Amino acid sequence: VRVIVRVCACDCVRVIVCVPSLCEDLLSSVDQPLKIARDKVVGKDYLLCDYNRDGDSYRCSTEYRDLYFEGGVSSVYLWDLDHGFAGVILIKKAGDGSKKIKGCWDSIHVVEVQVRAGAPLPVQTGINNVNCFYLPNLGNMDMENKIRSTLNEIYFGKTKDIVNGLRSIESLPDNQKYRQLQRELSQVLTQRQIYID
Amino acid sequence: MFSASVGFDTFVFPQVRIAANFIIHAPPGEFNEVFNDVRLLLNSDNLLREGAAQAFAQYNMDQFTPAKLDGSEDQVLITEHGDLGHGRFFDPRKKQSFKFDHLRKEASEPQSHEGEVALRPWRDACDEALRAYVKDHYPTGVCTVYGKTIDGQQTIIACIEGHQFQPKNFWNGRCRSEWKFTISQPTAQVVGVLKIQVHYYEDGNVQLVSHKDVQESLIISNEVQTAKEFVKIIENAENEYQTAITENYQTMSDTTFKALRRQLPVTRTKIDWNKILSYKIGKEMQNA
Repeated sequence: VRVIVRVCACDCVRVIVCVPSLCEDLLSSVDQPLKIARDKVVGKDYLLCDYNRDGDSYRCSTEYRDLYFEGGVSSVYLWDLDHGFAGVILIKKAGDGSKKIKGCWDSIHVVEVQVRAGAPLPVQTGINNVNCFYLPNLGNMDMENKIRSTLNEIYFGKTKDIVNGLRSIESLPDNQKYRQLQRELSQVLTQRQIYID
Repeated sequence: MFSASVGFDTFVFPQVRIAANFIIHAPPGEFNEVFNDVRLLLNSDNLLREGAAQAFAQYNMDQFTPAKLDGSEDQVLITEHGDLGHGRFFDPRKKQSFKFDHLRKEASEPQSHEGEVALRPWRDACDEALRAYVKDHYPTGVCTVYGKTIDGQQTIIACIEGHQFQPKNFWNGRCRSEWKFTISQPTAQVVGVLKIQVHYYEDGNVQLVSHKDVQESLIISNEVQTAKEFVKIIENAENEYQTAITENYQTMSDTTFKALRRQLPVTRTKIDWNKILSYKIGKEMQNA
């Protein structure tokens, strides 16, 4: 549904009112803004998503979050698979609301780690969280940086170009010349490629 | 028999109100897509057509949809100011009224329609000045100027619209502006509202939705001079708005977006994950 992010949750509900049978499918396939809940026992915030509606949760390494997000809330939920494990890594950072700017960054990373049969197990040195072994592999999957660059350069850049194609601050040269410029602009916009590997 | 009015239908079928709501908020150039999606959800064409008819009209009037009568290159905007009721709209430049099909977006059945004669000289002067301005700044712009008495005040209302729809390239955009002033006093308040909406959805979904309110003073002299200064106010305000939007992109990139998620860590180098791992193992062994 073509709506802007801030009204997304209400629109999901509206679609469900129209077609109640879509409820399960919609809720599982449409990402909603992450909600924050408080763990009163430990005194820390954590994030809610479809994956931790029931089951256990584990704390994640906060080094990555603080270096890139300088704050924010993160949660990691892991569960066993037949040949490995899977998990979801959630990060939420809201802008501080200063300077009349509001914003929010939500990350939902879903990973699946397959351990080949017969592969050597990581040495247990008395550490509880053996999944630390996989941390460098997960950390180096640099999806967030690529998506962030793409957002910044292509998505934001392109909407700016479109605005400047709707109206010109400078006087338009005579009609013929401008139609040529318009065609060129169209071509440039078409040529911008998006690479997300 | 109950009439198929919006009131009855939305009371009995809240889905109709929901469908109408989705339609009214369709991004520029995507009315048909939203309409077709909503049609599937509602699963009743009759209900949709009768219950949401007002939504179709509302959408076109909000969006300043341009309309063209056969045999004319000139376009007129569909707006609330030109709504004559019963599906007919006013074209003040051609002094005509016409029927408008809101789903097909087609104009037909032109008839002569005078409009307010007393305001004609002011309306014509503003229209002429505005047309030259729009041609100079909007590659695909259309404008319509009305002269109407509202609450006893003789008012000039100028509407401008420009859009680019490129669904094959996954983007659509439209800007609209509406400017009003009354000629009853020697100094008038010009009130303007500027709106821009851009939707880019290639492998993603980004929308820019922006608006700005403007107020300026205008000295009322003769028709031509007043029109000239009216358009100068419009030009300055719209230039300023467009410049601000462009500058905001840079600001947003440098500050807000960075405040949400940095490109590089505060250390200015990418994380060394192996280092973190060994640090973490070391720490836990210390605590053990």
